[in-house]
Amino acid sequence: MNHDERHDRFMERLERGEKIEATDWMPDEYRRLLLKLIHMHAVSEIMGAFPEKEWVPKAPTLKRKLAIMAKVQDEMGHGQLLLRVAEDLAAPLGKTREDLIDDLIEGRVKFHNVFHMGSPTWADAGVIGWLVDGAAIINQAALLDTSYGPYARVLKRICAEESFHMQHGENIILALAGGTKEQKRMLQEAVNRWWEPLIFFFGPVEVTPAAQRMIDYKIRTKTNEELRQQFFNKYIPRIRSLGLTIPDPDLRCDEKEGKWIFTEPDWKKFGEIVRFNRGPKSQERIGLRRFAHEEQRWVREALVRSREKQPV
Amino acid sequence: MREKGVEKLEGCEIRTEYEVFEVFVQKTQADPHIHVGSVVAPSPDMALVTARENFLRREQAVNIWIVPRDEVHATPYDDPDWFAREFDRKYREVGGYSENGRLWKRYRERAMHLEDIVRDLNGTPAGNSGKRDGGKGS
Ligand SMILES: [Fe+2]
Ligand SMILES: [Fe+2]
Repeated sequence: MNHDERHDRFMERLERGEKIEATDWMPDEYRRLLLKLIHMHAVSEIMGAFPEKEWVPKAPTLKRKLAIMAKVQDEMGHGQLLLRVAEDLAAPLGKTREDLIDDLIEGRVKFHNVFHMGSPTWADAGVIGWLVDGAAIINQAALLDTSYGPYARVLKRICAEESFHMQHGENIILALAGGTKEQKRMLQEAVNRWWEPLIFFFGPVEVTPAAQRMIDYKIRTKTNEELRQQFFNKYIPRIRSLGLTIPDPDLRCDEKEGKWIFTEPDWKKFGEIVRFNRGPKSQERIGLRRFAHEEQRWVREALVRSREKQPV
Repeated sequence: MREKGVEKLEGCEIRTEYEVFEVFVQKTQADPHIHVGSVVAPSPDMALVTARENFLRREQAVNIWIVPRDEVHATPYDDPDWFAREFDRKYREVGGYSENGRLWKRYRERAMHLEDIVRDLNGTPAGNSGKRDGGKGS
């Protein structure tokens, strides 16, 4: 079979709704698009643990401390599951787990803009769980029917745990929303800080050529804007019901078009934060990751070496 | 030339990359081990620990198996003939005998099913269920 025929067979499989497995033949473009997506997803889970990890020692009660610790642990776990999927895709390109992490600490792979931002108050920890996880869940749930089998299976497990993150975040912000004036102010300020990064999180309004290719390959089925609108539908009424204001004076629902009109975020600013790791917390958090990776290298190597010593 | 993930040290070939292990979890001793995913680890011991941390942070289980991926032999995905059903296999299935219900009616009885037997063994008194097996006109 020549390459074109193989490609046609592959597209026919996708049309029939079949899932692709790691060991199947796949077009190089499909592999690279998937790898880019899943690699970024994986490192975002890991970097996503940092803003909340900062609150583990400072959580207000023991119960809150245990819960946020569990959540941080989940996010690292998600990172591990996703790295496994990425590794198998990367293997034919000669890349290993070590390389995928090196890419992160050397700035060769991007992670989501929201995880470059600071989390200065306990309300930020709550709003991350509520709205950032909320946005991430919409993204991940929309990928559950992705054409790549190993990704779909891991997402199923991840989404099950995300439903805990959702309740966890809501519980924190509900406590603050029903609390003192000071707590309510803290919550409002956190919402003010997170709104714009959240709008950016879903990505550009237009369908980029790469996004279109992912849709063609059934890696994803929904556009950025469809997902952002879903987020608006679900969360705007809830945010308002708590008496909070959304920091966008032009935000309104266009009943005729059935969609939300919003002020676009500063695409350039956040784009650069993500591309050059130039956010308020980017370098500090990457530094922590680099420290963990490099300082523990000898442990990883010792573990491997203690097992295998076969004379050649 | 150094092969990726392998280093030579004092004439010994040493892997520097972790190995992939497939993970199987058994929830109770009445259940089979079920494949849940994979981990990378430097040794089987560490693979067991990593598997517990990755897959059992909430769910309960009684046992984990880890198997080096290289030891897993599998059928191909792209050869549908492997699982071909040349002809109808209804005769092997419960659903292939749905006419029993109609046939039993002639004798004013109902078809019996495994579920009824299990339920009755578990102590629901036959008279109370309203669905006594073989019960007339229930
Ligand atoms: Fe996650
Ligand atoms: Fe999460």
